Amino acid sequence: MKRLVVLTIVLGLVVAAAVAATFGSAAPARGVSPQAKLPPKPKLPALPAAVKARGKWLIGVKCDTPPFGWQDTSGKNRGYDVEVARQFAKWAFGSTSKVDFTCVTTASRIGTLTSGRVDIIISTLTWTADREKVIDYSVPYYNAAGRLLVKNNVAVGKLATWMPGKKIVSTSGSIYDRWIKNCFKNTSFQVVSSPAAGVLAVKNDQANAMMYDDAFLVGVAANDSSLKLSSNIFLKVPWGVGIRKNEPDMKRWVDAAVRGMRNRDLFWSILKRTIPRRFWKTFRPNAPSPAHKLQYPRSSPPENNCPS
Amino acid sequence: MFDRSVHVLASFEWSVIWDSQGALWGGFKHTMKAGVVGIVLAYLVGLVLGALRAHRIPILNQLAASYVELIRNTPILVQIFFLYYGLPVLGIHLDVFTVAWLSITIWGGAFMTENFRAGFEAVPQRLSEAGYALGFTRLQEFLYVTLPIGGRIALPSTINSAISVIKNTSLLLLIGYPELTYVANNIQSNTFRTFEMFTALAVYYLAIVWTLSALIRFLERRLALPEAF
Amino acid sequence: MNPLPEWFRPVSEYILREGVPETLRMAAIAVVASLVIGVVLGTLMTIRFRPLQWLIRFYVEVWRGLPILVTVLFIFWLPAFDVGRHHVQLSAYQSAALALTLWGSAQVAEATRGAVQSIPKEQHEAAAALGFGWVGRQTFVILPQALRRMVPPLVGLLVNTIQNTTIAFAIGVNEVLQAGQRQFENVTSGLTGQPVAPSYAPFLIFGYVALLFFIICFPLTRLAAYLEKRLT
Repeated sequence: MKRLVVLTIVLGLVVAAAVAATFGSAAPARGVSPQAKLPPKPKLPALPAAVKARGKWLIGVKCDTPPFGWQDTSGKNRGYDVEVARQFAKWAFGSTSKVDFTCVTTASRIGTLTSGRVDIIISTLTWTADREKVIDYSVPYYNAAGRLLVKNNVAVGKLATWMPGKKIVSTSGSIYDRWIKNCFKNTSFQVVSSPAAGVLAVKNDQANAMMYDDAFLVGVAANDSSLKLSSNIFLKVPWGVGIRKNEPDMKRWVDAAVRGMRNRDLFWSILKRTIPRRFWKTFRPNAPSPAHKLQYPRSSPPENNCPS
Repeated sequence: MFDRSVHVLASFEWSVIWDSQGALWGGFKHTMKAGVVGIVLAYLVGLVLGALRAHRIPILNQLAASYVELIRNTPILVQIFFLYYGLPVLGIHLDVFTVAWLSITIWGGAFMTENFRAGFEAVPQRLSEAGYALGFTRLQEFLYVTLPIGGRIALPSTINSAISVIKNTSLLLLIGYPELTYVANNIQSNTFRTFEMFTALAVYYLAIVWTLSALIRFLERRLALPEAF
Repeated sequence: MNPLPEWFRPVSEYILREGVPETLRMAAIAVVASLVIGVVLGTLMTIRFRPLQWLIRFYVEVWRGLPILVTVLFIFWLPAFDVGRHHVQLSAYQSAALALTLWGSAQVAEATRGAVQSIPKEQHEAAAALGFGWVGRQTFVILPQALRRMVPPLVGLLVNTIQNTTIAFAIGVNEVLQAGQRQFENVTSGLTGQPVAPSYAPFLIFGYVALLFFIICFPLTRLAAYLEKRLT
């Protein structure tokens, strides 16, 4: 009888250990990377009361800017920014569907945020000192660089020598808008209402070049054999999540979430899910990772940095 | 809510309007540039096509009718985008100003065509018959009888169409033409002074629209055809 | 054989499925609200009480005189305000519907005023002689006749409202034109997995949008013309 009890206890312990091992290993670790030591969800501060009460996020994203914010033919929001938003939903409420998206454009995103229609905006928002007077930025979640899209037969060379007298297009209110107005007074700048309009303008010789984010332009150049990117890379400024001023609890939560995603290399996974495979190598450095933190150039605002 | 409105009124900053007046005036000039060009050309289009339709010139009449129906049954913004995005594909490279006045000319011309057609058709038949009795050719009859009288009849409705053309210039902000609404919208995005910018916009647009409407009422009285007709 | 190019089919489906219902819903709400508000205002304008007439006249001239785009931008950019305990903030869709209603109701008010004033005085007198009060006269005698005369212009208003829903494009509502624009971005960038479109894409996409409007508006315009002829 006593041996039976001991046997049962030993068996029970073995089963318990097996169960613990099974469930324990289901959570983190795909392999031996250091992230395996981190729990799947970071310790996050308290969710802002308004969001918690609502039970879901209201987030402003782009709906016409592949690959960051766009809508596929079934009407579903997709893209790098959208994936970040879904991760926030997952960590706040346990499900990636606990978020309602509001479409914003470059011109309307800050107004949409400050007028209270959304909790935060994740909408290709480049950091500028001017914008930081009006809204708060989270820690950076993507590092974009500006590139020039030109026709194949155009040789650009140094920006300072090539730009004067040329006609450049970009979208309204973008950082490129300000930079050109600051640094290239002899360059004619034309606003286009959308990225695709800018591409058309270059293709049809209405402009010499389009200045825009590398991720979008690389895709265009790859699919259009008459266009290419010049080798100039400029305005390397990170993007942040836009947060209303005087909302410290929101900023705390979002910063913690972004840091948590960075430490778990989740931005690299998101990049792989949203950008075609042939561009992965080019864009890996743009996503923050445990080894690669991004920082805002606060000491020298980028739009005032004019190339010599 | 009442004290909220009082609060808004109290914090209304006239200085914002004052500081932006240069930019707003620049926008207004752009509005008028595209608007006036569009209106003048639309009048020409309307005159010619309206005459064609009133005189039922074969083939051209049907073509004009199709043009009118197409333009009247599609939104002007779609027409603007179609021109702006589509023309370059055909190899036609136009700057924004040209696309601006061209699109509102095409739109306004369709409405003016109908205005003038109605005016020409309203000319009493005995007057055109009198013209033929005097030995006028068809062209002479049109120039000396139908046009002056029918044109006057059509004047109020054509001015209404012209007012609509001016109002529709606001849509050109969406293709990047820096007219009045574009400028005000920019200032609003940077300063968040919504009420001030809206007031400024309202003053500009209503001044134009109300002046032209008053002109219509004045003309309707002055150009009224004598009872004898 | 399907003449439409491969890349276009999902584009057209998206536009039809996402954009058209949004356009029609906005137009429907705006027209109904414009009718209700406009008829009331137009009838009130016929009362010989100067201050009221001026007030309504001001409303009519402002919302008819301003470009609808300006109205919609103003409403959309208004900061949120509080009515009692409720925090009010209009969505893009609601802002557009409100702007269209303000414009539409001004049009209807003016048309109603004209129609009511065109009813011969004898009708008013006869109704009064039968013992109808002012409200009764309007409801049972004057308005039915006035509304009958207004039907052709009201059909015209419906057509114009449907076309004017495109202003909602400026504030991001996913109506037909915006849907076309988004698809245009998708097929130009080459980053969405959708087949990349050739350079004539704008013609096909915006031509398709124009065609959709034409199919809806042309029959209505013909109907208005027919009704106009029947009345005279």
